[in-house]
Amino acid sequence: MSWITLEKAKKLEERFDYVKVGENERFVSVEVPKEKLIDFLSFLKEDSDYLFKMFIDLTIIDHGVKEDPRFQGVVILYSPEYKERIIVKTWATEEKLPTLTNLWSAAKWAEREAWDMFGIEFEGHEHLVRMLLWENYPYHPLRKDFPIRGFEEVELPSLNESERGDQLEGMFNYSRMHTALPTMEDIEHTQKARMPEKKSQIVLNWGPLHPGTHGTIWFLFDLDGEYVQECDIIIGQLHRGVEKIAENIGYQQFIPYTDRMDYIASINENHAYVIAAEKMLNIEIPEKAKWIRTLLAEFSRINSHLLWLGTYALDLGALTMFLYTFREREKIMDILEGITGARFTINYFRIGGVYADLPHGALDAIEYFIKDLPSRMDDYERLLTRNRIWLKRNKDVCIITEEDVYDYGLTGAVARASGVPYDLRKIDKYDAYGEVEFDVPIGEKGDSYDRYLVRMEEIRQSVRIINQCIDKLRKMSKNDPYFFQTPDEKKLKVTIDGRGLKLPEGEVYAGTDNPRGELGFYIFNKKAATKPYRCRIRSGAFYNLQIFTKAIIGRPIADAITLLSTIDPVVGETDR
Amino acid sequence: MSVKKVGAKPQTLIEKIFFIDFMKGLSTTIKHLFKRTITVDFPYEVVTPSIRFRGVHGLRNVDGTEADDFEAWVKKLKIKPPEMGETRCIACKFCQAACPVPELFTIKAEKLDVPEDHPHHKLKVLAVFDMDLSKCMFCGLCTQACPTDCIIHTDVYDLSSYTRRSWVMDKDMLSQIADDFIARRGKEKFDEKSKWRQDQKLWPEYDETRPKLWDFHPPKLGPNYIDELQNTFNQVDQQVKNQSSDNA
Repeated sequence: MSWITLEKAKKLEERFDYVKVGENERFVSVEVPKEKLIDFLSFLKEDSDYLFKMFIDLTIIDHGVKEDPRFQGVVILYSPEYKERIIVKTWATEEKLPTLTNLWSAAKWAEREAWDMFGIEFEGHEHLVRMLLWENYPYHPLRKDFPIRGFEEVELPSLNESERGDQLEGMFNYSRMHTALPTMEDIEHTQKARMPEKKSQIVLNWGPLHPGTHGTIWFLFDLDGEYVQECDIIIGQLHRGVEKIAENIGYQQFIPYTDRMDYIASINENHAYVIAAEKMLNIEIPEKAKWIRTLLAEFSRINSHLLWLGTYALDLGALTMFLYTFREREKIMDILEGITGARFTINYFRIGGVYADLPHGALDAIEYFIKDLPSRMDDYERLLTRNRIWLKRNKDVCIITEEDVYDYGLTGAVARASGVPYDLRKIDKYDAYGEVEFDVPIGEKGDSYDRYLVRMEEIRQSVRIINQCIDKLRKMSKNDPYFFQTPDEKKLKVTIDGRGLKLPEGEVYAGTDNPRGELGFYIFNKKAATKPYRCRIRSGAFYNLQIFTKAIIGRPIADAITLLSTIDPVVGETDR
Repeated sequence: MSVKKVGAKPQTLIEKIFFIDFMKGLSTTIKHLFKRTITVDFPYEVVTPSIRFRGVHGLRNVDGTEADDFEAWVKKLKIKPPEMGETRCIACKFCQAACPVPELFTIKAEKLDVPEDHPHHKLKVLAVFDMDLSKCMFCGLCTQACPTDCIIHTDVYDLSSYTRRSWVMDKDMLSQIADDFIARRGKEKFDEKSKWRQDQKLWPEYDETRPKLWDFHPPKLGPNYIDELQNTFNQVDQQVKNQSSDNA
């Protein structure tokens, strides 16, 4: 598996007397005191036996108001050399932690988010402002003493239906009191805080409601003529507190919410969550469910990449592409509707399998589509790949180096285009990925053109995987189970509707390789419960977006569109 | 790990001079110029949703196709045994328990006001079943939790309205929607015991609009798995044999 072995962790314990190795059947974690954290992490990063160069995630666990120390920091690292991960934990006494930004740039945003959500101060962080919420917001919402509905303190009469005055009663009539909302001054203040002083001529605001931003991202460009000198991004306009919701709702009940994170590839979001939960339950799902899931996850990847291709070309001025790819997506969504019941917010996967078997004709339709797709792909490539305008706008634009990938924790196609073969499908081999054959496409340079080629190749590889899945599924029986059947209902109950599903005590980190990068779920349970105690979502799009602020420096403003399209974030996932 | 390198060669001189890249691109667009329009002209044309489509909810009534344990559930929850045409809901609130947004349901059962010697003494009936569909995610968890197959998804999807009030459905409206759906497409979705049919189709093949979005060549739907295939082969064999024996 992809975790550091216990022996190797024990060696760390021998070497440093302050290190404590935590045993866990799912992974190995080490605990170090706060004062030694930076020394220890830089050892892990640089020592040739470990080489944990790549930053995966940083998060905080709130152990409750009564506990002392109350907050625990969790850092997840990956070693590309040895293909293993490690979790480092430390206690944040006095609500403070040392900053990791000198070791990994990715920690900049991760720490800002931790400050925003938990109020943990990172000593030494150069610019510790809020990440998702606005400045002047008085609370830290992921703390356990913050209620799920928030503090309702602003009166908004417009929430009432006003047709017959305010005397209406009924479910449709919302309460007039609302949680805090940012005022215009707050927004202005936020903008000022993000970019305190301009270096050059003009600060250009791009977004939040610009079609080129693919959602609601607000960019600030400090421009010298046409060239960007400095850039910052304000996200959070779509922040819905998905992690807080996860901590207050049952396990199966949370799956529809993951649909609404990355709404372009909602199947893959479901997938990551159920993989993590199943790992925690320690169950083996039926063979058929595994193959169905692999099939649909790849199908959804094609769907997502086609949308990316269409909007990317549209942003760079090739409108035709958009119409072509949306024609193909319509077919995909038509099939998905038939299998799952919804076109977009799928909610088909369950912890323990899938909720229903494939309907009559599903494999035929998928096969028919897949047979047709490569010729369509050739059509697209004929339009774009060799086109001189396309080449000029993409070649050598916004190069992301291999070092950047490790430094910023980039995953998915962005990392692969820079030459890092980081693919969880190969590393973790979840579901049926261990049994299918496919190649990981790798770019040479890391420019926008490579990212384009890598994604195009990923579609072709997905076609390959789907063909293998269809062949395998054809040989199965209609009567094979598609959902986990528990050997003993009293010990372990897994239901399709999620009532009575309990996850055991412990913690788990698992993820999947989504079209937008690694989506990981870190679930922590103090005791066996129907709700997770802490559910951290490691969003690939969030970390990938961070490289934007670096890669755009010194480039003309027109490249911002190219770069953003090739990074391909979805705001539902960056903001959560 | 198998790795595939992608990369691009620079444009050649011939490509540059003769605009070969543009010619190739234009050949694709010109090819599409002569294709038929595939846009579905909504609302004058409507694609029939697939049978599993998760649309507006409905509450099914008793119609003789209940599952075998229906009466046991009715007894367990002390509900007045429903007659034909009355709702199947037993006010167990399992749907609410499985719902990610539980506050969208208001479910209440009332005790019947009957004298002591009446057979329905101390039994309850469903009094209120309201759903605020403006809060609903249409995830389908309530339908999977329902023990009596009462709450179902129909294929109705147009919920637009001018007021929030019209999104709150009460039990009569929900029953009406379900009855209408069952009359139209119930046989496609449910078997005689109100469970999902094993041979649900990916989409209705009688729909005449759907081929349009498949470039007028929709795929033919056949069985998925090998044992189903063999079954159909056997059936075909049987038919052929029958025919040959008839001929003989």
